Amino acid sequence: MPHLFRPYADTVARAVLIAILVVPFAAIAAGYWLSASPYETEQTITVDQPVPFSHEHHVGGLGLDCRYCHTAVETSPVASLPPTHTCMTCHSQLYTQAAMLAPVRESLADNEPIHWNKVNRLPDYVYFDHSIHIAKGIGCTTCHGPVATMPLMRQAAPLTMGWCLNCHRDPAPYLRPASEVFDPDWQAPADQSQRGIILAHKNLDNAHLTDCSVCHR
Amino acid sequence: MNKQLRLDQANMRGPPNSEVDRRAALKLFVSGAALALASCGRPAEQIVPYVEIPDGMTPGLPMRFASALPLAGYGRGVIVTSVEGRPIKVDGNPRHPASLGSTDVFAEATVLSLYDPDRSQAPYSGGRVQDWSAFEAALQPRLDKARARHGAGLALLTGRITSPTLIAQIEAFTKALPQVKWYRYEPSEDDAIRNGAILAFNRPATLLPRFADARVVLTLDADPLGAGPEQIRFARDITQARRTHVPDQSLRLYAVEPAWTLTGALADHRLALRPELVRNVAIEIARSLGASVPELKGPPEAEHFAKAAAADLTARQGGGLVLAGPRQPPEVHALCHWINNELSAPVDFIAPVDPLNIGGIASLKSFVADARAGAIETLMILGANPVYDAPGDLAIADCVAAVPFSAQLGLYRDETAARCTWHLPLTHVLEGWSDIRAFDGTASIVQPLIRPLYDSRTAHQIMALLSNATGPSSFDMVRGYWQQAGKHGGDFEDWWRQTLQDGVVADSAAAKISLPAPQMPEVAPVSGGENFTLAFAPDPSLFDGSFANNAWLQECPKPFTKQVWGNALHLAESDAQSLGVVDGDMVRLVAGKAVLEAPVLVRQGQASHTVATTLGYGRAGAGSLGTAVGFDVYRLRPSDSPWALADVSVSKIGGRQNLLLTQHFFELEGEAKDLQPRFALADLAKKPDLGLSKPGGNPATLYPPHDYDTYEWAMVIDTAACIGCNACVVACQAENNVPIVGPDEIAVGRDMHWLRIDDYVIGGKPGFSPVPCMHCEHAPCEPVCPVAASIHDSEGLNLQVYNRCVGTRFCQSNCPYKVRRFNFYGYADGEEYKSFGDDIVKAVFNPDVTVRGRGVMEKCTYCVQRISRARRAAEKDHRKIHDGEIVTACQAACPTRAIAFGDLSDANSRINALRAEPQAYALLGELGTRPRTTYLARLENPNPDFGKAQS
Repeated sequence: MPHLFRPYADTVARAVLIAILVVPFAAIAAGYWLSASPYETEQTITVDQPVPFSHEHHVGGLGLDCRYCHTAVETSPVASLPPTHTCMTCHSQLYTQAAMLAPVRESLADNEPIHWNKVNRLPDYVYFDHSIHIAKGIGCTTCHGPVATMPLMRQAAPLTMGWCLNCHRDPAPYLRPASEVFDPDWQAPADQSQRGIILAHKNLDNAHLTDCSVCHR
Repeated sequence: MNKQLRLDQANMRGPPNSEVDRRAALKLFVSGAALALASCGRPAEQIVPYVEIPDGMTPGLPMRFASALPLAGYGRGVIVTSVEGRPIKVDGNPRHPASLGSTDVFAEATVLSLYDPDRSQAPYSGGRVQDWSAFEAALQPRLDKARARHGAGLALLTGRITSPTLIAQIEAFTKALPQVKWYRYEPSEDDAIRNGAILAFNRPATLLPRFADARVVLTLDADPLGAGPEQIRFARDITQARRTHVPDQSLRLYAVEPAWTLTGALADHRLALRPELVRNVAIEIARSLGASVPELKGPPEAEHFAKAAAADLTARQGGGLVLAGPRQPPEVHALCHWINNELSAPVDFIAPVDPLNIGGIASLKSFVADARAGAIETLMILGANPVYDAPGDLAIADCVAAVPFSAQLGLYRDETAARCTWHLPLTHVLEGWSDIRAFDGTASIVQPLIRPLYDSRTAHQIMALLSNATGPSSFDMVRGYWQQAGKHGGDFEDWWRQTLQDGVVADSAAAKISLPAPQMPEVAPVSGGENFTLAFAPDPSLFDGSFANNAWLQECPKPFTKQVWGNALHLAESDAQSLGVVDGDMVRLVAGKAVLEAPVLVRQGQASHTVATTLGYGRAGAGSLGTAVGFDVYRLRPSDSPWALADVSVSKIGGRQNLLLTQHFFELEGEAKDLQPRFALADLAKKPDLGLSKPGGNPATLYPPHDYDTYEWAMVIDTAACIGCNACVVACQAENNVPIVGPDEIAVGRDMHWLRIDDYVIGGKPGFSPVPCMHCEHAPCEPVCPVAASIHDSEGLNLQVYNRCVGTRFCQSNCPYKVRRFNFYGYADGEEYKSFGDDIVKAVFNPDVTVRGRGVMEKCTYCVQRISRARRAAEKDHRKIHDGEIVTACQAACPTRAIAFGDLSDANSRINALRAEPQAYALLGELGTRPRTTYLARLENPNPDFGKAQS
């Protein structure tokens, strides 16, 4: 009578038993990791724009303040993109014939706004407010990354709920003095852990930043 | 039929795609899973900034503009919120005398009408869409001809117009062409009131009651708290005069009426009397003041009532006031003027705001005569719909059709448009410039919030067209008028800007006039006949029918009956018994040649031999939502007495109709007095403990305690001030993107209102309790949610996290207050009722509130978006939120300020003071839920001598 089982049958059986225990957990863990990976959050994608506006040139090179273009950022939930008119304050004098600026000139001539492609996107059920983050000392680059070195923009942070909560649970490491909020080159000082706690004590009036109603309504 | 049975039927109906079998379902599941796995990320989104940003605008922040909205031709001042150029919310204008910062259902629903996809979008004639130049070309030869004859053959037919600019335009036009006829009528006509003043004073005058100075008010078939252009103001004044807890200083309200009105529900003493007999009470009051009129003989309850009211009225020299309603004939109004004069009643008189010196019905009759005689060749109907809403006996439809060239300017291609040779689209009140006067004469500029959505025109533009004035825009015309007429003292630009910002033209209220002593009219008591009287009233939801295509209003539960999507014939209990009918039974109503077959709704406390019903239903051309809902009673309306039809016979016929109600599925047995306790003012002073379940009470509980270390939000609702007008219900709907579900879903017991108004009948008297979410500290909905979608926040708000909700509905089952609402379908998100789902309707959504999808639970949030906005503003300034800084949508709308909201952790807050009132109570407080929403009990101020006067 031939053997029913090959010699390696035991090994296979043990492997299967272990796999039954391990694979589901591993799959869930992999799923979690993948869902928050830069690939899935689209952090790797540099978004094309109708006009190849370079933050590297305007912010890093020329030193324009963020608020020159994003005028509403201190008062409104949205930072706002500049109206064509703002571009033309300089570009009616500079690079007036540049081909890459043709869409801007056409926009002004035809009274047709420029359609920019959105880079940082949150789900519709998240009510994010730029102005309160600015007022509380969260700098632009904390979420938007080193814009002064980015020719075209990409999403610099994962923008997952876990990432939001990370800061809402403990904002101290990210808090800046009011004067530094718009500094594109700000680096956390060595004693940020102490400074952050002092700033949080001084500026943050809400100890309940993890309430669901803070972002969802 | 009880609610359980309805729900069983709902379950039997099955899901919408019931043809999907198991195999198909599996296929769909697999393909769906495959698609999800193969999906390639989120769709791209764009940001579109301005080319040139409008002055004063900050992207992402709402803008507010003062304007005014018409109702029955009179304006109510409003402040409209616009987001990214879309008007989304109407609030009251505190500076405006007809608003005082509050709104009514019609004002709140106006934004939805703006985005109504059924609105007329282009001129229409000869069965096809035309353009304006074709109309102008067709009109021009007729105008030239009429001009050659000083306007003979040319006629205007309008509703009530109080716009100073438009009146000036029409007057200039009729002055240039004296033969032009201007007819004017209004479906909610008040000719009897006007004629009563003429009878008493030999000149027209409008009575304005000063409720603040009144101590005893008797309404005779009048409804100052009911729907109408004065509702908000009168409701504020009356409830404010009732706020004090001193019985002698509080306004005591007596009401005599055939069917329930909001005034009757608030009244301390109410008498149900058929419309004809109401005059007997007035005569008895006059007799007690010394008039030589015959004594009232029966019915006994009317005698007692009249004697007690007369004694009370005369006892308060200068504080007694009698008001008669439009259903009463001019003699009764004249008699009331005489009584008020004898009582030195707190009333003022102004010259009528409506300048046309002719009654509406008389004007309409002369139109009929002229049209029949062929004297009208060219007819312009501006903003009116007479074919639907003129009294039926005038047969207006034939008259309009008989005119060779008729053009109607209207928002919808309605019944009148179908009879006219031309229909022209009218610019919505939120789209065009105009002006309007309030009931007291105060003028406001109507500011547009958005450019016209369609190729429409305003009445000003049409008048300019008729006058051959080309070019001026409505803005130029309105501004031009005020440049000439306004009291701007030379600096017009400043004056204009200030007036626009205020929403009120300063010092424009009509001046008080002094009148001679009123004459005593010839009036004698009558006795009622054997037959029924049909009493008409404006509908509390649709008013005169012009709002019939507004889904929010169609689904707004009417006070008392809670009926939606339809009307009914209201019958007294005794009459229903003798006819052998119950709710929903069809009856035949015969009046002369007119016959109406309609369902019955039995009403406790209605006068016998009275059939009551409301206008506004049975539209043939309202639009996809409002057409063929309910039955039309305009065709029964007699022109000689537009609010009552005497000598009607009613008989039962076979058949039933399912009345769509949102409450009253079963009778409460005794609990009502615990749910809505009521006290007399006199008792309140005597008893320190009223035996109520007090706010903040802390029965033993297994719930873990919460630590509150920040704001603690709470609401107090004063049921003594609630008049049941529904303004809060529609305001909540507008603010919070609450969808409508449609009549089919209502029929199976579903509806979505976050705020409902409970109506409890105790001892035959209804009373209203608005019920939003209680935001319980020990919330029964929270522990049963398997996914923590129903969860507490640190400020005590009971949150519903939509993106977590999986739709188990456990929370709804466990909520003792039944305030949670479930999206059985995508009511706002893909499965909307009829045209409510069209793309343009989405423009009404508030961007600060999530639009909930199918399978998600929702409920009142205390307007958490407003709390958040205030919190962020306060935190930017490093301060606490001020008491009163947060105003919820329902609170802002409430004309009587019955709703208060604030922070319990602030010991000095108003909300804490209100919760400490002796009549404060927690609804179902004995359950230990510790609700944050608490109530103030209903307070009544009955006459202690009432009934003692029987002799």
